Amino acid sequence: MNPFFKSLGALALLAVSSWANAFDLQQLSEQLAKPDVIHGRFTQEKHLRALPKPLISKGSFVLAKDHGLLWLLKTPLQQDYRITAKGIARRDNNGWQLLPGKSAGAEQNRLFLAVLQGDSSGLQRDFELALSGTAQQWILTLTPRSMLLKQVFNRINIDGGELVQTIELMETQGDSTLLRLQDSTAEQPLSDAEQHDFAE
Amino acid sequence: MTLLSERRLPWLFLTLLLAVVALAGWQWRDGAPLSANLMELVPGTSPDALELRAEQRIQEPLNREMLVLVGHADRQHALAMAQQLGEQWQASGLFEKVQWNLQADLPALRTQLLQGRLAMLSEDDRQLLSEHPDAFIQQRVQALFDPFNGFTLVPSQDDWLGLTGRIQNSQPKHGAVQLDIGSGALVADADGNSWVMLRARTTGNAFDMNLPLQVADLLQRSREQAAKSDVQLLAASGLLFAANGQQQATREMTWVGGGATVGILLLLLLAFRRWRVLLAFVPVLVGMLFGAVACVALFGHMHVMTLVLGSSLIGVAVDYPLHYLSKSWSLKPWRSWPALRLTLPGLTLSLITSVIGYLALAWTPFPALTQIAVFSAAGLLGAYLSAVCLLPALLKNVELRPARWPLRLAERLIRLREKLIERVSTSVLLALLIACCIGGLMQLQSKNDIRQWVGAPQHLTDEAQTIARITGYQPTSQFFLIRAANQQQLLERQAALSERLQQLVNLDKLQGYLALDQLVSAPSQQQQVREALNRLPSFWQPLLDLGVPAAALQNELQQLQTLPAEDIDAALAGPLGEPYRTLWLGPTADGVAAMTSLQGLNNPSLLRVQALDLPGVVLVDRLGDLNKVFAATQISAAELKLASCVLIVLVLILPFGLTGALRIVALPLLAALCSLASLGWLGQPLTLFSLFGLLLVTAISVDYAILMREQVGGAAVSLLGTLLAAVTTWLSFGLLAVSSTPAVSNFGLSVSLGLAFSFMLAPWAGRHEAAAETRS
Repeated sequence: MNPFFKSLGALALLAVSSWANAFDLQQLSEQLAKPDVIHGRFTQEKHLRALPKPLISKGSFVLAKDHGLLWLLKTPLQQDYRITAKGIARRDNNGWQLLPGKSAGAEQNRLFLAVLQGDSSGLQRDFELALSGTAQQWILTLTPRSMLLKQVFNRINIDGGELVQTIELMETQGDSTLLRLQDSTAEQPLSDAEQHDFAE
Repeated sequence: MTLLSERRLPWLFLTLLLAVVALAGWQWRDGAPLSANLMELVPGTSPDALELRAEQRIQEPLNREMLVLVGHADRQHALAMAQQLGEQWQASGLFEKVQWNLQADLPALRTQLLQGRLAMLSEDDRQLLSEHPDAFIQQRVQALFDPFNGFTLVPSQDDWLGLTGRIQNSQPKHGAVQLDIGSGALVADADGNSWVMLRARTTGNAFDMNLPLQVADLLQRSREQAAKSDVQLLAASGLLFAANGQQQATREMTWVGGGATVGILLLLLLAFRRWRVLLAFVPVLVGMLFGAVACVALFGHMHVMTLVLGSSLIGVAVDYPLHYLSKSWSLKPWRSWPALRLTLPGLTLSLITSVIGYLALAWTPFPALTQIAVFSAAGLLGAYLSAVCLLPALLKNVELRPARWPLRLAERLIRLREKLIERVSTSVLLALLIACCIGGLMQLQSKNDIRQWVGAPQHLTDEAQTIARITGYQPTSQFFLIRAANQQQLLERQAALSERLQQLVNLDKLQGYLALDQLVSAPSQQQQVREALNRLPSFWQPLLDLGVPAAALQNELQQLQTLPAEDIDAALAGPLGEPYRTLWLGPTADGVAAMTSLQGLNNPSLLRVQALDLPGVVLVDRLGDLNKVFAATQISAAELKLASCVLIVLVLILPFGLTGALRIVALPLLAALCSLASLGWLGQPLTLFSLFGLLLVTAISVDYAILMREQVGGAAVSLLGTLLAAVTTWLSFGLLAVSSTPAVSNFGLSVSLGLAFSFMLAPWAGRHEAAAETRS
């Protein structure tokens, strides 16, 4: 585990040790499932083993409980993605284009949504879940159960408070991806444009 | 009074019988020499050895594999059941391999992808690389940032250009089935259920006699087990159809054989009122024995279909003893040997004509009918011999005093007919009959389809269709065979075909196809990729901007340039080659050959057109070819029928003279015509099998005409004899009409109709008829 998270986890453990009721997965799920719409910004750091510095990209996202996820990449290149029940789509000059079903990819995107939405029952199928911390500061560690997943991921770490803050995917090959979700807010409803994007 | 020869005959025959029984015992020493392979029954249309080999390759999985979908609303539940069943099946010993999850060997996959970077690149990707290298690089940059790109198997530093990812993504998608990443199972979601795919490959094939039943049994138990946990199973396999066919054949054999036996025995008892008369069944048993022994001796085994159709022989075989038993109404006192002596010429003629009729079937190109012909001809010979040599001795001291009612019935029928003829003359009747026939013939429609051979039950077909709908897997038996001088040419030809097939797929005329060119490209195209890569450095600045070291890119390019050209064998060896392996036929006498297999076909003629101007490409459509053979055979069957009639006329000239012989043969032909017309009136199609049935009726009903012609013991007694013979024959053939195999039931129906008309027309064979006509 990343030393940073380790210390964070230890800190969190210290903080909750005095509480009578440990924070459990059920409560985490309920907490993350509460907001209908979350708006926020993200920074993605792709650490490739052979690159001296990570590939950094930034943008904003909209997570809507009943619709799915809009992932709007702004820099260094502009590209909009959408994940819904229909699958994953990419926007080009002609509007949203549903990407041809890549079975492994589709499955990964389901995981991605499950992580963001804190759907622990969906995650529990494929991963061992270890939760520590409090409702205000928690860490969830996902260790793959199946042989197939073990050949791809070592571990996935998620931490957050009221909402998810960072997601870190550690690949078996040595690459890793760190997603930071910043300025997340559950206050704002879907704008007309966003609603249109989900509906199209 | 018994002649010396008549005292010896039974012993001679018993010696022969003993020898045949011994032979049968030897034939059955390793169990029943039975076969259920449907393909053995249909004519071999393709003399081409390569085509045959290709066909076997395509057929093999259909006959050895079972595809099961394990469905439940909760995916986890379905997965658990699939795993449980998979383990049970593996332990059952019936299967060579049971697979419910993919044990993906990722290191091997990575190696293959890296090795195949030049050879396995798809057509679209090759085009992009050589025509729009800037776009190619741009897409790569995008992919590196894309969080939803799915995981690539090869880490970026081993493949900066992202060629392996492209190869991964361009692999043909397998229907609606998706990989469940947690379990490695293949799952399709449909109808509110998650369906987990379970595949099993048996140790033997569908034509093994016991295996299909065992597999069907196991499946049934699994279904019940799954139902307890509310899990639904759907299964499709050639094995299940084979099992069903076997069960059906056994059931029908029991019904037809049993029903005919009980009916005939009852009839014998009612008519002759003596227990001993049941001995008349001895010729039937001897006939079956002779038929089976001859069949196994000639073909090495007997098909279950032969047994089903052959069981109808019961009704014909019993006619021989009936010939002289029925003389008990006129012959008083009735004694076995004298009665036989009286009827022997008629019996012998009837044997000859029937055997001619049956053997005519042997000349059709249908192995099935050849077997039935041999079975029946040998069976009739056996029945005749036992009726002539053995049965009279067994009935020696029996004095028959038959019931009077059958004779009264026959007399009434004769009077009825006479009254009819008094009012309407024979020629008018004939004209009316022919008019009726023409009317019926006009409505007659011909229909030939190999599927008539298979009584595929609705639930099995429905299930297979549901599976095809859910998974998108719908293998067809049609495929393309591609021949070429070398691998380069082969891949080019296959690629040209694929291009056309893709258009059909885009038009929804075809669900999918699998061809070697989807896996590996021709050596010349691999060279083109190499050249295109050489031009790439002037376009890869965006990658350098991201921080990818120039040395790393140069190094990768170097590696790619030195990758050897990959041939078909090398591409098939890796894990990605697995689904393609059956397609590669390898070196042939004049080059190399491969197949393109098809999914979800609904229009074979559309496919045939695709291959028209592509050299070396042919569509192999066995079913279609067979249906054509069926139609062609219909004509040759009609010719055979006429030929057999000519032969019978020749045989009959000796005892009855030319006019007599012609009259005797004309009646069965007229009966056949009436049956054809009736099929038309009934709205039933004329199939090859109904025609074969009529071919047979001609042979059998000549017998009735002879009986009525000879009139030993008077018209009424002869008519009664004919009636008894017709009823017994009908009891066995008519029961075939209830068969659930369309071919068999069609056969039964046409024979039934033919028999009815033959009986009605038989009285016109009588001598006094001829005399009456010459008078007028």
